[in-house]
Amino acid sequence: MSTTKSATLVNYAEQARPTRLTKSLEFAALNQTFTTNSRDGLLKKYGHWAKALGEANSHISVREEEIGAAADAYRQVAKHLAANLSWPPEAISILTQGSVSTKTLIRSPNGGEKFDIDAVCQVDITRIEATDPMKFFESTGRALEELEAQAKRRCWSIPFPNQPFYLEFTPSVPLNTVPAQTLQRMAPRYRAARYEKTALAVVDTPTRSWKTSNPAGMCQWVDDTAKRPLIRVMKMEAYTADRATASVAPVPDQTVGIADTLRVAIRLFKRHRDMCVRRGIIDVGAKPISIILVTLLTTCYEGLADLNRSFEHPVELLDELAALIPHLILKLDGKYRVDNPTVEGENFAEKWNDDNGERYRAFMTWCRALSADLKTILALTEPQAISKRVREVFGISAPIGGGNGLPTIQPPAPRATPASSGLA
Amino acid sequence: MGLDLTYLRERFPGLHPAAISRESGTTAYQLLLPPFPDGREFKWAELRVSKGFPDNGKAFIQLSPDAVLRVPHLDSAGVLCIAGDPGPGRGYSEDERILFLLHTYLEEFLKPWLTGELDGDFEDEALNYWAIEVTRARSDTDPVRAVWTVDPPPVRARVRSGLLLVPNRIVIAADEELRITNRVVQSMGLSATQRIGVLIADIPISRALTPSTWPRSMSDLERILEGRLSSEDYSSLQMCHSRRRRGKHRVALLRNTDVALAYLLPGGPPTILELSRGKKTFPPLRKLLPLITSRLDPDWTVGRDQHPEVKARQAKHVLVLGVGALGSPLIDHLAKAGVGRISVVDADNLSSANIGRHLLGAEAIGRKKVDAIAQRINSDYPATEVIPHAMTTAEWLKKNSLGDVDAVLDFTGEPDVRVQVEQARLNHPRPLLIGWMEPYVAAAHACVLPAGQRWLQGLQDPLSDLEAVVWPDEVIRQEPGCSSRFQSYTAAAATHAVALIAECALEMIDHSGAVAAPIVKSWIRGQLFLDKHWPGLKHKEWARSASEHDGLTMLRKFP
Repeated sequence: MSTTKSATLVNYAEQARPTRLTKSLEFAALNQTFTTNSRDGLLKKYGHWAKALGEANSHISVREEEIGAAADAYRQVAKHLAANLSWPPEAISILTQGSVSTKTLIRSPNGGEKFDIDAVCQVDITRIEATDPMKFFESTGRALEELEAQAKRRCWSIPFPNQPFYLEFTPSVPLNTVPAQTLQRMAPRYRAARYEKTALAVVDTPTRSWKTSNPAGMCQWVDDTAKRPLIRVMKMEAYTADRATASVAPVPDQTVGIADTLRVAIRLFKRHRDMCVRRGIIDVGAKPISIILVTLLTTCYEGLADLNRSFEHPVELLDELAALIPHLILKLDGKYRVDNPTVEGENFAEKWNDDNGERYRAFMTWCRALSADLKTILALTEPQAISKRVREVFGISAPIGGGNGLPTIQPPAPRATPASSGLA
Repeated sequence: MGLDLTYLRERFPGLHPAAISRESGTTAYQLLLPPFPDGREFKWAELRVSKGFPDNGKAFIQLSPDAVLRVPHLDSAGVLCIAGDPGPGRGYSEDERILFLLHTYLEEFLKPWLTGELDGDFEDEALNYWAIEVTRARSDTDPVRAVWTVDPPPVRARVRSGLLLVPNRIVIAADEELRITNRVVQSMGLSATQRIGVLIADIPISRALTPSTWPRSMSDLERILEGRLSSEDYSSLQMCHSRRRRGKHRVALLRNTDVALAYLLPGGPPTILELSRGKKTFPPLRKLLPLITSRLDPDWTVGRDQHPEVKARQAKHVLVLGVGALGSPLIDHLAKAGVGRISVVDADNLSSANIGRHLLGAEAIGRKKVDAIAQRINSDYPATEVIPHAMTTAEWLKKNSLGDVDAVLDFTGEPDVRVQVEQARLNHPRPLLIGWMEPYVAAAHACVLPAGQRWLQGLQDPLSDLEAVVWPDEVIRQEPGCSSRFQSYTAAAATHAVALIAECALEMIDHSGAVAAPIVKSWIRGQLFLDKHWPGLKHKEWARSASEHDGLTMLRKFP
């Protein structure tokens, strides 16, 4: 058995979690009644859920052209930075980070709300003089002054009033250019982790010090992990056979929508979290941040792959991920830990340790709500009911269309000045 | 009514020509519906023409009941609110009105509904939809009829105690620790004779809840309670529900500054109601009861959240001397504007001759004016507390000082009072407003003096010098002790004065701490008005510019 960190975590979580829904007795019974050929029946049934979840996934995903517009904007900002900073242009490079780079950007359920595009502005510190973190952070801010950038904890936020997004620019330096002494302060037990080449130091303004980070590493890790197979391949043949008999709706095409199961899980679970905030189930200020969801889900997926687990269908895997993630939170020396697996010293759950447990409770509340909601979806078998429930759970409005044949009536021209009402 | 259905159907073939009779003499015509995508369907839509159409009734579009709370812009009956018959008086023929209605139904409702453009609209009018949900669930025997809040939403979710008032069955979402709670309860009088303790789970929300996001079952609500309350608060709410302590009602209040939804949770004590045939006991509820909420906090009742100055006014204590035809409506304005505490001093009783120009009416004849005013304002405006002092200014000043007063308003018109106040302000410098009216309300004045500014000019009271009209001796200026010859004026004429002085008073109260120059603001009627009331009246030189107008407001420096 593998002993990777992710595998160990998943092993532990598997022991702690309750029985998975798709493995439960009721579920097995349901499968039996569904069809005499239980495997085919199961796959057909999974197909209905997959279709509904796939539709939800595509509804919440942000369109490529919208991201494209944002990419243009951050290239503009990059130019602006290069022009305004006295550092040599070759010392500055700008990359997206966060959900754009991991391809897990989602639409807010609150109509008209902006999505954020994270970018990291990487400056090769060996080519410039600034080593004082605050000086470095502030000089970046000054260069962005004209764009009305506002300082946040580790980044500069640029509003873009007429765009559906805003940009968050995190000034950073490559970790390998940071003096050993500084590195020692940031991560006392630092050892080279995977993806170390892309590790960075960013400025943590409240503590006025350098902190480790690795956005490109995170992106690579999600990418590498997502490619690992967890679904048994034979399913395709089963579907093809089904199709040939024309007895069911064309399932394989629909399953493609959730074949990239890790990213689908990240998107759907983030959306579910947003809906929990929207419904008042968790407080907006205490909601689990996206990077925590990404880390837990990717760790879980990786651990399952390391342990050679396999699943019949992406829906089964989604269910497993939801069941395991509440048990992946570490508490070491009384402190909650969701470590960045791509660099030492960055704990994404840092804030959980000084809020009287509020964020931890919100996370657990969300996990319970997610499991309960998935359970209601998996309890349904009728395709329309499944679609309706999936839309309810993920806050997705009904599909659009159908108005093409409607006539257009020419309204009668106004005959009199409309009477207006006075204040009364 | 005779609609030209051929004309209408030529333009809108989806209109079914067969007329169907509906309740209250309404005529309905079915509208052909397009194929709907899954989840956007509703059973039917009808063009309905009310009985009195075209002159005394309108046409409207009604959708099937299954659309209510699923499709936005429908009222509880399914009537579409965004598509409207323009009605009579706009120059349209009957058929054109129907055409207009069908046009808006198609362009503003049906097409946007099918393209998803209306999907976010529930949130814009969340409370209207909540009212539908409440009406659907409501019955005459519910233990609670509504929830009133008296303070802003909390920053963190918490359980607090509240009061169920009986017999009106209103829950106040706060206890007596807040002064405003008592004032609200008092204002209800006999409809709130009994107070019963209840538990309120007061939970702030970030967005307005809509039919697709508000809790629809106890398990939905349970998620919120468990997720948002601290474990101690959550278990106290659960404990209260336990068999051992079934004595308390529990209310969940989900709110932000714009929207508040409340639920009465199942369980709680039985409800005893006084019915026409005697008392009857109703068992505890078995399911969630949605409740309508009202905000009684001063920010809302006074200023609909658009007047940030209300917060500071709530902390102010104002002394009002004299509650006559000027003072009494002035207090009403101060209360409506959210001044927190008003001490009122006047020794008089209300007489029958007062009521034509006074805030008080016949029910208060013979009562001390201050007592009746306090009772009235305290029951009408929970944002304000009026403290009555049935005594003269001199007596009040003997017992009290201006130490805890923020501003003084003198509406007595009495020279003695002005001297007494001058003395008191030497010990405790406070801003002072002296307000008065000239005969017939031919003019009115508000003299605003900052804290350190004296009123008396040496030994001289400057009041007469500040007036706008030269008054001959024949015009009686002071009300003689027992004479009915006192020149009168209408309440309408006095309203100009009240408005001018009330604005000055509020301005002074809002800036009571800041140094400002002493001013006199005056409302002066024109020559026409003077001539109507007494022959040969003339304006003083400074006020002459008002002559040609019906009335003029002028601002001067205090000399």
